[in-house]
Amino acid sequence: MAIIEIDQLSKSYRVYQKQEGLLAAIRGLWHREYRDVEAVKSIDLKVEQGEFVAFLGPNGAGKTTTLKLLSGVIYPSGGTARVMGHVPWERNNDYRRRFALVMGQKNQLWWDLPAQESFRLHQQIYQIDREAFSNRLSELADLLGVEKLLGRPVRELSLGERMKMELIAALLHSPEVLFLDEPTIGLDVVAQHNIQQFLKYYQQERKITILLTSHYMKDIAALCKRVVVINDGMIKFDGSLANIVESFSGLRILRLLLAEGQTAEGLERFAEVESVELPKVTLRCPREKATKSLSNILQHYQVEDISVEDPPLEEVIANLFNATE
Amino acid sequence: MSVEKVKSDHPNYWRVFLTFARNSLVRDMMFRTNFLLEAVSSLSWSLMNVGFYWIVFEHASSIGAQTGWGKYEFFVFMGTTWIINSLVQAFFMPNSEEFSEMIRTGGLDFAMLKPIDTQFLISFRKVSWSSLSNLLLGIVLVVLSLNQLATRAENPWRLEPASLLLYPLYIACGAAILYSLMICLAATSVWLGRNQTLYDFWFYITNFSRYPMEIYARGWGIPLWLIFTFVIPVLVVVNVPARLLAQPLTPRASWEWPLALFTLFATVACLLASRWVFQKALLSYRSASS
Repeated sequence: MAIIEIDQLSKSYRVYQKQEGLLAAIRGLWHREYRDVEAVKSIDLKVEQGEFVAFLGPNGAGKTTTLKLLSGVIYPSGGTARVMGHVPWERNNDYRRRFALVMGQKNQLWWDLPAQESFRLHQQIYQIDREAFSNRLSELADLLGVEKLLGRPVRELSLGERMKMELIAALLHSPEVLFLDEPTIGLDVVAQHNIQQFLKYYQQERKITILLTSHYMKDIAALCKRVVVINDGMIKFDGSLANIVESFSGLRILRLLLAEGQTAEGLERFAEVESVELPKVTLRCPREKATKSLSNILQHYQVEDISVEDPPLEEVIANLFNATE
Repeated sequence: MSVEKVKSDHPNYWRVFLTFARNSLVRDMMFRTNFLLEAVSSLSWSLMNVGFYWIVFEHASSIGAQTGWGKYEFFVFMGTTWIINSLVQAFFMPNSEEFSEMIRTGGLDFAMLKPIDTQFLISFRKVSWSSLSNLLLGIVLVVLSLNQLATRAENPWRLEPASLLLYPLYIACGAAILYSLMICLAATSVWLGRNQTLYDFWFYITNFSRYPMEIYARGWGIPLWLIFTFVIPVLVVVNVPARLLAQPLTPRASWEWPLALFTLFATVACLLASRWVFQKALLSYRSASS
């Protein structure tokens, strides 16, 4: 049985439609117009135990709403979901002891206190044995390299250090399912990398199930084999990262290094010219024509070096979002 | 799966509360000067109040004729007000305020994830230790005033074991009633989006509750008395415990014991209502976008 099963899950919000201007604002005091925003539209998804799945989608696509539904923080307007056999929004304690949610933009640690005081509170709330608690804490702090910071007030920590503490807080009770909502947002490259490495190691070691949303392709490329693309509240793609490129980019990028004395003139006959900085030329052409174009080019030009690449992931995803809107 | 011993469905609430209280104290001690200033300012406000009523009682011997609220009886009443208010301000006020803020900012998400009763977690997260300074002052004022009453020539006050038991019970009832009102009011943020009237509300409500209820026994005071006793029962909050301690237990007017009984009922009803409103609020919570 899948560890997460989502069936026809929907969530819509009623929002007050604000009109512009003071007069409209006054009218809005007694007559309000509402509109329904469908944040999540009838999503189906199955995740197996031990998977590391990425939710990919532009802002407002419904990624966070889905995670909040699975965490039981909000109630759905329709459909069902089960995580480890529990209906999340029933919020029973047995379920709540077995998962965790980390949000990159919100923090749950006491701002003025050292993180270890918040951890101790978690120990009480999650009923973690004293010994298990101190073992896990020192293991996690060691992995994340923050042993020396445990006693420092959270407000004095850098964003990256704070995020690491948030991760520790979320993992102290050894959750079997972990929801990560943009855990690396706003972090510098080094901190991002550290957290990626940690998540990768921890997931492989513990075989826990992780659902991650992120805007950083690097996070996703480094961590997740399976990617679920959400846009406009619907699942648009579910498969491996390589498959995304396969199905959503029919393009190949050809990079040529022309021999001395050669010009780029006439290349447009064989493929679309993207840039020319002699002796370097970048071309793009449909995947199925790539071989043909290359052999034509080689017949007519002297070429020192060639490479054929997939377009950058960011671009593929941007195309994908545009195409699915 | 780990081989830990089977966990009970709920954590030990008392220990969680102690950890909250401890963390709050650690936090307060970090900002020592702020802590002292808070304590000093609320203490001096209270002392000024004593001074004010001292002057009032230079002009009148009691609040209303034949009501039994002479100077020192009223000081017992006032001390009781402080005790209850400081309990509410120490334990519930910061939490209700934060609850309202958490609804607006989406911080409630984390509270809802924890395997512990959410209302408990929201209601006891913080303790404002500096507000307890007024609790001490209230107790001192009550004891000194009772001493005055006990040593007066005519009709001296006598300590009755029953009042010793009933007084703390009704203090707890009063605090529970105020807590319920407060948490309900804070919960309305879920529907209103924003509700910053908490402090104002607190001021209005406590203004009604901080005088003996006899003053409402005339003219248009009667509808007020009815509303604030039976609809929003803030009048019984201080009146019932203060009366039990300051006035002799016998003889009692015919309405007094029924009122005391009603207070118990009102406490339970308020707590249940707060539970109901809280649950409704969680159902409607939509969490701020990240």
